[in-house]
Amino acid sequence: MERGIVLVGLNHRTAPVEVRERVAFANGRLEPSLRRLIAVAGVAEGAILSTCNRVEVVACGPDPAALGAALPGFLAGEHGVPEPALAGHLYTHGDREAVRHLFRVAASLDSMVVGEPQILGQMKEQYAAAAAAGASGQILHRCFHRSFSVAKRIRRETGIAERAVSIGSAAVELSRGIFDRLVDKRALLLGAGTMGELTARQLLAQGVGSVMVANRTFDRAIDVARALSAMPVPWDRLARYLPLADLVIAAASGEEFLLQRPAVEAAMRERRHRPMFLIDLAVPRALDPAVNQLDNVYLYDIDDLEGVVAQNRGARAREAVKAETIVDAEVEAFWRWFTSLDVVPTIVALRERVEAIRRCEVERSLAALGPLDPRQRETIERLTQAIVNKVLHAPLTALRRHRADPAEAFYVEAARRLFRLGRGASEAGSDEDVDPDDEDA
Amino acid sequence: MELGLLRLAIALYLAGTVAALVGIAVRQDLPRTLLPRLLWAGFVAHGLSIAVRSWTAGHLAVTTFDEALSFLALLLMAVFLVVQVRRPLVALGAVVSPLAFGLTLAADAVYHGARPLAPALDSAWLPVHVVLSVLGDAVFALAFSASLLYLVQERRLKARRAPAALRYLPSLETLDRVNYRCLVWGLILLTLGIVSGIVWAHTAWRFWSSEPKLVLSLVIWGIYVVLLQGRMTAGWRGRWAATLTIAGFAVIVLSLVGVNVLGLGNHGKAF
Repeated sequence: MERGIVLVGLNHRTAPVEVRERVAFANGRLEPSLRRLIAVAGVAEGAILSTCNRVEVVACGPDPAALGAALPGFLAGEHGVPEPALAGHLYTHGDREAVRHLFRVAASLDSMVVGEPQILGQMKEQYAAAAAAGASGQILHRCFHRSFSVAKRIRRETGIAERAVSIGSAAVELSRGIFDRLVDKRALLLGAGTMGELTARQLLAQGVGSVMVANRTFDRAIDVARALSAMPVPWDRLARYLPLADLVIAAASGEEFLLQRPAVEAAMRERRHRPMFLIDLAVPRALDPAVNQLDNVYLYDIDDLEGVVAQNRGARAREAVKAETIVDAEVEAFWRWFTSLDVVPTIVALRERVEAIRRCEVERSLAALGPLDPRQRETIERLTQAIVNKVLHAPLTALRRHRADPAEAFYVEAARRLFRLGRGASEAGSDEDVDPDDEDA
Repeated sequence: MELGLLRLAIALYLAGTVAALVGIAVRQDLPRTLLPRLLWAGFVAHGLSIAVRSWTAGHLAVTTFDEALSFLALLLMAVFLVVQVRRPLVALGAVVSPLAFGLTLAADAVYHGARPLAPALDSAWLPVHVVLSVLGDAVFALAFSASLLYLVQERRLKARRAPAALRYLPSLETLDRVNYRCLVWGLILLTLGIVSGIVWAHTAWRFWSSEPKLVLSLVIWGIYVVLLQGRMTAGWRGRWAATLTIAGFAVIVLSLVGVNVLGLGNHGKAF
């Protein structure tokens, strides 16, 4: 192997946040770092991935072992951290494992919350920075774009990103069982604490039409309502506003239940029994559990939501197994393409191909010419060989000259395509089929 | 020919049933895209079968018990296919397809072949009255399907331990809306069916009070009128509305089967 891919990094499993934050790259500041990265000896192509859960440096070059040794130093140097401070936290993946790691990260198989969608967007953004800085080349280009389409394929073919794994999204998921759409629904937030505000934000992000905020101290309700562009509601007038609420989120507890069964019963009558979904996030509980016995009223407390979340986490883990097999197959396909990029096998293949053509044509002509004496035969052989050698001279020289330099992959790929050599290149996907949907990011 | 087409339709409805059940159990798109195609194909084969039979008989083939069952299945499928054009409701398909499958299978089981039309029924009123009434029944069958799903979904949500297998059921709001719309349309069609029947009977026999089917139809009509009234004024909805819809449909089935098995009145010969 003349060339390799190396990935060095740390993530939420190997390093605590105090370490991660010290080596994180600020998003707008990637470009100078990328320039310094490709200036590192032996690095032909490079890219940096930095999120709150991971910092990773990928590089491609002729000597993988040297790369593996140089990258930790680069990472430490970029942030002025002594290299030994990172020692226990870094992992190094080489070649196939590096590719697999990238694919898994893109598909959110390596995330803290498996299946979360943000990582793919961050990766695309940061890869774009590497491409813009001229740090990435043909190999990383293919590798990253492949990882994006692997992520999409996994999202499409498995249920990995399907189910809610946070309290807020579990509430949204459950509400979809009750309501057709959320745009025309109104939510009432009882208690303007952090938890309530977060959940209300999530509901708004999922398209809930409007939110009302009630809090014991009205000023706080006004503050939170302003932040959410919601409507503040006085605490002592709850009974008047309750019938308007399709969703109720209770996040404040007290000595007794905030809402007793009769209050909800009255509200239901007033709203002509349109369904009401109550979510009790408070501990101790804020809503009377007997409320759930009313028709068209659905009450979930924090344990119920956590039950849903736990169930969904389990389901995601099962889907992740399916996703891993997809990753395996994709890594193999990429690797076939990658190894086909070598100069030596390309030269061999090129010679074989042209020689085969020559042989075939010579035999055809000999058959047409009829019986020839040995000298005439040899002349024809020599003539054709000379043509072949002259034609091949320039491409072979070019290939040899660029062996193990950054342009190698380009020449190899060009030769393979121009002369239609082997299946390695086409199987990993030629540029036309790299990804029809690659550009939609 | 017509029997072959009917059996093709039966097979396609069965395939549709399987596709719909798989469609609500797993997340793959294939069964969901397959479902409407299978059901459309079944519907076309089924419609052709009835057309052929009507052509040979010289009148709309709705005058024997098996013809009646088959016709009801056809219109049920028609109503469902129209409803799901605007919004694919795989779960509803999972109830409607087995219903259509069961009805056509029953029609095949009691198949008699064409019979000459009783002279009393030989009238332009026959298709009018039958299409209106059966279409009403089909719409109520769809309301029944939606209500059944409503009860399942409601139970799942009330139990608060959402079983994963049923996550692809439509929302309660959607199911309740299907129920309501079907209720309105079913009631309109049922009313027209009853009125056309009375007018027809009046012109044909000048005397119609001893028709048991009419009495049963009025009972059904009463149930649905009460339900619609409750929905519009008292805010009846959800579980209670679904339960009443199912009860009303049970009476429809009883009247359809009972009148035929006992051979009561003019409808005893067919409906």
